[in-house]
Amino acid sequence: MSNIPLNIDWQQILLHWMNLAILVGGLYFLLFKPVKQFMEKREAHYKELDRQAAQKLEEAEAVKTQYQQKLDGMEEELHAARAKAQQAVQQSTEEQLKEARKQARQIVAQAQAQAEHSKEKAIKDSHRELRRLAMEAAEMLAFHPEVDPFEQFLDMTEEGAEHEGR
Amino acid sequence: MKQHKKGFVLWIAIVLLLLAGSLAAGFQGRTESVQEAMRDAVLHGENQIPFLGGKAVNPGLVSAFSVTAVLLIAAACIRAFAIPRFRHTPGKFQLAIEEVVGLFDRMAKSNSPHRNGFLGAYIFAVGAYIFVGTLFELLGVQAITTHGAPITLPAPLSDVNAAIATGVLSYLVIVSGGIAGNGVKGIGKSLKEFSLPISMSFRLFGALLSGLLVTELVYYFVNLSFVLPVVVGVLFTLLHAIIQTYVLTMLTALYYGEVSEPPHGGKAPKGKP
Repeated sequence: MSNIPLNIDWQQILLHWMNLAILVGGLYFLLFKPVKQFMEKREAHYKELDRQAAQKLEEAEAVKTQYQQKLDGMEEELHAARAKAQQAVQQSTEEQLKEARKQARQIVAQAQAQAEHSKEKAIKDSHRELRRLAMEAAEMLAFHPEVDPFEQFLDMTEEGAEHEGR
Repeated sequence: MKQHKKGFVLWIAIVLLLLAGSLAAGFQGRTESVQEAMRDAVLHGENQIPFLGGKAVNPGLVSAFSVTAVLLIAAACIRAFAIPRFRHTPGKFQLAIEEVVGLFDRMAKSNSPHRNGFLGAYIFAVGAYIFVGTLFELLGVQAITTHGAPITLPAPLSDVNAAIATGVLSYLVIVSGGIAGNGVKGIGKSLKEFSLPISMSFRLFGALLSGLLVTELVYYFVNLSFVLPVVVGVLFTLLHAIIQTYVLTMLTALYYGEVSEPPHGGKAPKGKP
């Protein structure tokens, strides 16, 4: 043993190996493994969070696309509804106009009929008055011969006109 | 301002008082010359320590077991008290622990992408051993030699046996990676790098021993022991602790990755890394 240069001692080398074996094993189980496991677990945790976030983002994108499509559809529907409403309003206006014209025609016709009726009545009244005057003139001629019949007729006519004017 | 001045004066006074005290106490006579001290730092022929009360061993072995004990106690404390309180948003301490573990894990994965489970654990442990072991000499832990003289425990890897053990073990880990990754071909690949155990062992031994010798030299002469150790003892030790940790772990990971890499165009052997 002592013949080896530099005082190299195999027994001490073996003891150093034993010491290193204890150290490597001890540090592995006490420090390296638990810390590495913790770090891996944390990495997995953040990867999972990242994955969930990516998934949620993807879902949100899908929902956004869906709503965008719906929105585009809604615009088309809106256009259609607006056109339909405009058409309905126009139709309603036309109907109302038609109805108003019809009513106006009815009113005019009614007014015309009423006017005609008033005219006829006035003519009838005039005829009746004339007949009465004629009757009275005839009576006067028959029962009062001293009075000029023409003058009397004119007076009665004037009276009749005053009477009508009142 | 006045308080600052008072503090400064007090500090200077304490320093001068301690200097005067140390000079007045006098120096013990040297039991060995500088040549003997440095020769013993290399060969450990004289200053040996009884290991567990039995065989006399180099002080480096006692340092190695002390470093292992310190590391395992610290790891057990972290495992028991800190790791159960780890949060997804880490604090400063958790960040430091995760960074150290992650550093070696990433080193293993980047240098040996095909097979790195055991490699990560190994370079983490060896890296911690080299780094803490090198800084261990700064503590100046005292031990009693077989002759009854006090001795400061050196860095474990300044002992040639520790350096050989670490270098050869790293080579054996590389060979095991070659076998696990490529079977018989892996052994051939690993044996091609037959100089690795010697180069790794003596690189460690040389680097750590040179640090030890410089420190021995500086501390041997009292006149050099006042300001110089701040640079030599602390900064240089810290620097070469980092460098040696990086070099050995990086080399191990690099060669492990090389020998465990499946042949191009062929399928990687199945099984866990």
